[in-house]
Amino acid sequence: MAGGGGGLAVPERAKRGKHSHRKKKKRLGFALDMTPLVDITFLLLTFFMFTTTMMKPQMMEMKIPPAALNNVEVKASDLFTIYVREDGKTFYQMGLDEPQAVEFDKIKNVAKTQNLIPLKKNRLITFLKLQVKTKYETLIKVLDELNLAEVEITEEIAKDIDPATQKPVERKRRFTIAPFSEEDNTKIGGL
Amino acid sequence: MPKVKKKRMAFVVDMTPLVDITFLLLTFLMFTAKFKSEAENEQKYNIERPYATPDTTKLPDRDLAIIKVAIDETSPNKDTVLLFGLANQNDKAQVWAAVPEVQKALGDKNASLVQVDSLTLGKLIKATRSVNKNTRFALDADKKVTFETIWTAMNIMRKNNAFTFNYVTEPRKGAE
Repeated sequence: MAGGGGGLAVPERAKRGKHSHRKKKKRLGFALDMTPLVDITFLLLTFFMFTTTMMKPQMMEMKIPPAALNNVEVKASDLFTIYVREDGKTFYQMGLDEPQAVEFDKIKNVAKTQNLIPLKKNRLITFLKLQVKTKYETLIKVLDELNLAEVEITEEIAKDIDPATQKPVERKRRFTIAPFSEEDNTKIGGL
Repeated sequence: MPKVKKKRMAFVVDMTPLVDITFLLLTFLMFTAKFKSEAENEQKYNIERPYATPDTTKLPDRDLAIIKVAIDETSPNKDTVLLFGLANQNDKAQVWAAVPEVQKALGDKNASLVQVDSLTLGKLIKATRSVNKNTRFALDADKKVTFETIWTAMNIMRKNNAFTFNYVTEPRKGAE
């Protein structure tokens, strides 16, 4: 692309001899100023540069809602319950022991340690209970922590070899979610 | 008259490569820009999603049924609004026809997103599953929505045999 414009020339006659006295046609020159073209181009360019970076990708979290819990018989000792109160405070309960308060940042570690207790490995059922007025944001944050813990748990469990298949043990994640029952409301509400 | 005549320096810059690269960048960015889906364009309510650690799954743009739970800031009680949207255009026509309640709520007959109540939502989910078995469900809620509403939505999904679904989240800044 040339910086300036080209000239459009009227074709000159090849033979000059006969008509040499004829008036020579004026040569027209088109000088094209490309400034506005480049201006708009840079404008469009910066627009696209900014809009493409601002489109953050939407991420999804995988989640399976439970089938009705009533049908499954569970051993109370295999149950690991996490209570989330509407003010954001979290508690955990192992089996039928007393619920203990746990800071949000520690949830991941607690979930990990509880799941890796030698007798409970791959057997623990995680039960997430939330008070009805808890914000969705809190739910996602807790789920996120549990998912992060899950990654580490799977890694740890895979270090053992299953005697039946002679392959690393596969993680069986058992998880369910429900709102507080009336009993939970009084018990956890009072803590 | 002046003894020393200043030598005039001419700056001749050929702009050809500059404009070449500019046009190249422009066309590249034009092709990589992603546009909002139809359903998202029609949404009147803004949903502020909660943050979660990003994994590599992105929201699919086909075979998707999205259930949005937004908060109507203009209403006095900050009511929650339930919206249902379908990504597949051909599924949409069949599902809208199968659930007559939707016809009233649909402003534009070709709309991809419609405001519903819990009862209609159940019927819509059922109809969607019968029209397209492979439809994936997603729940897109504002972070301030209470767990109660989410639980209701999850139960509606469960009753209508939609057992797997995804939450739509924003990637958490500073993680990974």
